[in-house]
Amino acid sequence: MNRAAFKPGPWGWLVIFALAALLPLLKPGGYVLDIGINIMIWAMLAYGLNVMLGYSGLLSLAHAGFFGIGAYAVGILTLKAHWSFWLALPAGVLISALGGLLLGLVAFRTRGDAFAIFTLGVGVILQLVINKWDALTGGNEGLNGVPPATSLLGIDFSKGANFYYVALAALALTVLVVARTRGSVFGRSLVAIRGGEDLARSAGIDVYTHKLRALMLSTAIAGLAGGVYAAYVGFLGSSVTGPVTTFTVLLYLLVGGVGTLAGPLLGTALMYGLTQSLKGLQDYQYIVFGPLLVLLVMFVPQGLAGLWDRAQARRVAARTERTVDHA
Amino acid sequence: MRGAAFILWRLSLTTFLQQLFNALALGGVYALVALGLTLVYGVMRVPNFAHGGLYMLGAYFAYAALSGLGVPYVAALLLAAAGVALLAALLERAVFYPLRNAPHVHSMIAAIGVLFFVEAAVQLIWGPDFKQIAEPVPGIVNLGGVIITWQRVLVIAASVLVVLGLNYFLKRTLTGATIEAMSQNREGARLVGVNVNRVGMLTFAISGGLAAAAAALIAPIISVAPSMGEVMNLKVFAIIILGGMGSVPGAIVGAFLLALAEVFGGFYINLDFADVIGFAMLVLVLAIKPEGLFRRGT
Amino acid sequence: MQRRTLVSLVLALAAGSALADKVVNIGYSGPLSGGAAFYGKDVQSGIDMAIGEINKAGGVTVNGEKVTFKLVALDDRYLPNETATNVKRLTSQGIDVIFVPHAGGILTVQPLATRDPNFLLVAYSSEPKILEAKNPLTFMLPPRYDNYVAPFVSTEMKAFGKKLGLVGTTSAYGKQWTEAVTDEWKKQGGTVGSNNGVDYGTTVDYSSAVTKALAEKPDVLFVGGPSQPTALVIKAAREQGFKGGFIVMDQAKFEQMNQIVPQAYLDGSVGVLPTAQYPGAPVFVAQYQRLYKKIPTSEAALNYVGMHAVARAMALAGTTTDPVAIRAKLGAAVAALPKSVAIYSLKGVTPAGHLDADVVAASVKNGKFTKLRLPNLK
Repeated sequence: MNRAAFKPGPWGWLVIFALAALLPLLKPGGYVLDIGINIMIWAMLAYGLNVMLGYSGLLSLAHAGFFGIGAYAVGILTLKAHWSFWLALPAGVLISALGGLLLGLVAFRTRGDAFAIFTLGVGVILQLVINKWDALTGGNEGLNGVPPATSLLGIDFSKGANFYYVALAALALTVLVVARTRGSVFGRSLVAIRGGEDLARSAGIDVYTHKLRALMLSTAIAGLAGGVYAAYVGFLGSSVTGPVTTFTVLLYLLVGGVGTLAGPLLGTALMYGLTQSLKGLQDYQYIVFGPLLVLLVMFVPQGLAGLWDRAQARRVAARTERTVDHA
Repeated sequence: MRGAAFILWRLSLTTFLQQLFNALALGGVYALVALGLTLVYGVMRVPNFAHGGLYMLGAYFAYAALSGLGVPYVAALLLAAAGVALLAALLERAVFYPLRNAPHVHSMIAAIGVLFFVEAAVQLIWGPDFKQIAEPVPGIVNLGGVIITWQRVLVIAASVLVVLGLNYFLKRTLTGATIEAMSQNREGARLVGVNVNRVGMLTFAISGGLAAAAAALIAPIISVAPSMGEVMNLKVFAIIILGGMGSVPGAIVGAFLLALAEVFGGFYINLDFADVIGFAMLVLVLAIKPEGLFRRGT
Repeated sequence: MQRRTLVSLVLALAAGSALADKVVNIGYSGPLSGGAAFYGKDVQSGIDMAIGEINKAGGVTVNGEKVTFKLVALDDRYLPNETATNVKRLTSQGIDVIFVPHAGGILTVQPLATRDPNFLLVAYSSEPKILEAKNPLTFMLPPRYDNYVAPFVSTEMKAFGKKLGLVGTTSAYGKQWTEAVTDEWKKQGGTVGSNNGVDYGTTVDYSSAVTKALAEKPDVLFVGGPSQPTALVIKAAREQGFKGGFIVMDQAKFEQMNQIVPQAYLDGSVGVLPTAQYPGAPVFVAQYQRLYKKIPTSEAALNYVGMHAVARAMALAGTTTDPVAIRAKLGAAVAALPKSVAIYSLKGVTPAGHLDADVVAASVKNGKFTKLRLPNLK
């Protein structure tokens, strides 16, 4: 299977982010900015999932739980311990990464489908604990009044338009880290593990440690997304930390293209936009959504970015063929 | 901290037996739902996330047969089982069979899509309100202070009966033996000339039928709602990992273990955390025995 | 305030909303899919019905112009972040009145109400924090639950005895109720057993929780959550031989529970008087049953009242787009509602933005509802 990443290239990414940075200057309504920020938050979570599923070939279904850990860490630290958002956010990321380490120590004893379902179980536990631990998380009532991001370097980030840049910066950081990881020896080792653990092991790769590090990176990104979410929404409830969120973001990732660098962003932007326009359908939205998911894995399993890759590859192949003919 | 949790008090035998019956009825339903799931996993290697949707559909089919057609309860149960079995077989043909050679993640995600669809479709057809199925035999049995409703007796008896029937089918009939052979060794079964396609479809049908029967059995005790499958889904997945994925005895033991853990864990420790106890038990078992309690034969 | 960006214009068209001047859009963000959909739909039915009535009567006159209404309902699956997105979408379409029926969503969007673009937030949730926020653009519909607690407790304690068992739901609201009932029961000199609350939404079988509660031999059980599961909890308790009384949380409605369990099971319980038993209700109840083929609950009824009040407040304020002016006239609007619409005897709107109504509690004796006097605490 050829899964070469669809690469807009460093310049391409720069253009994408520069264009995104220009959006608030057009003075769009609150709704447009809100959609933009939401897309960036969920795209980050999709990148987190992608590190596991796309690069290591492991489906971890606990990610909404880690999103929740990051979100509640930021929420609790800023609201109850009165930390600055700028300190609480890295702390939230760190806690999520540590959580990932703990999960990996147990979860990597299982493999394949069992791993997926085991992590699903962990995801359920995380949501249940968040939902029941009244003293820490506010339980079913949730955490109300999480303060918005505070000023940094003299810029007030509490307002919608300015917070947009916080989300954008977090997303840019995520893409950068993921891209660097993918290109590194570590990233190539992960892809080797995806191809087959035994083979990777025989090639001298420490499979267990690699998987553990990938999971930590992946949950750290989920925690980052959660932290940004907490400061943006200002209210935290346990419902967003459950498996439904994981599955929704998984759908974004699939549409965009698993294992590609552009896929998570592309898929999230497209599907989040589509969900918004399907809202008029109300009850019918999942009647459309469900079959869409099925058709997608049946006919376009490589996602949009993968589709692009295939088209590219075909063009290259056609050109080579022609050259061969002339020879 | 709740002080009451620390007060040790003697549990009377009646209460203990009462809870035991509660757990048995719950375990019976869990077992029926989990059996289908584990069979499908064994034969097709598909973790069918749509299974909870089939269970929920079973409850609605039974409701529709009772209120729409006016048939008696047992007929409604059988109709629901047959209807869902048919749908499950169709599902296998339309979705899971074409995906048989794709990575497992794909069929898993397709199953989630099916679950979303089924839930939305049911809400559209029957509305989001709770539906109620009347008990076929109302009233209670009093066994020396232990009170149990007839419906629970029915649930326990029916689930034992179905499990025995399934066991007979798997061990004593050719088709059943084929399913069992395939769940133990897919390639081997193909080599000895088993028609793999037909068995997959049949397994899905059985799994759907079992889930629907379980739903029709417990429906008079609980409320029927479009989201009832979500909770059950998570529980039966926990059960089959606990028991070892694809293992039939594992699913039965896992089902009763989970029910006992929930009921007695809720009783002795904290009811609010009863759901957590079930999943915590799962994590614990897997940490010690990653392949589950009953390793599937290879 | 109506910044019609291309996006919102497209969205407005997609939502099928007419852009004619005489039609005013009313926003609604609630759970329309998933486990809480039944609740979101109940609330929506009340608003829908009120709008239908107003439009059928030719609309209300605002500044000499006839105005009709249209409901723009968006699904938020009970998720506060989706409520926030929905609200931003609704305000970007120039909508100035938005109904939200759950505490998480309300608390999330409450700060948005007073920002530009501002809107009137019609809140259907009894969460006390909603009023504590002192938001000048919030209109809270349900009565405060704490008015119920003392009379519920004294009635049941007098009738059955001093020991209380707890099997309420563990939703945020359920926990507040459990706490309030526990405190009041102790205050009136009773003893309270351990808390055996379970999540009515996710529990497959309630009987083990009931068994545990009954093991402590209580005289009275506190139960409550959505009506259907509550009825099943009561059923389990009666079947296991419980002869005492029930304090039923206001979320559960007798008129829905007696569809599931025999009325005899409810004997000795105290809860909210069925909507149909209010003097102003018969017209509403008959209409509702004709339209929706089911018994209306207070969810539908109070939002129905809320929508009528908003429409009348717009007429009195002479504007459909200024939330501050509309909010200022709500009190007068509520007082002026005709008897057939007001359902619960309404007195007005408190300065904090709370609908002031006489809600009546009822106890069930020999299958009949007896009204209980509630002391008015405000």
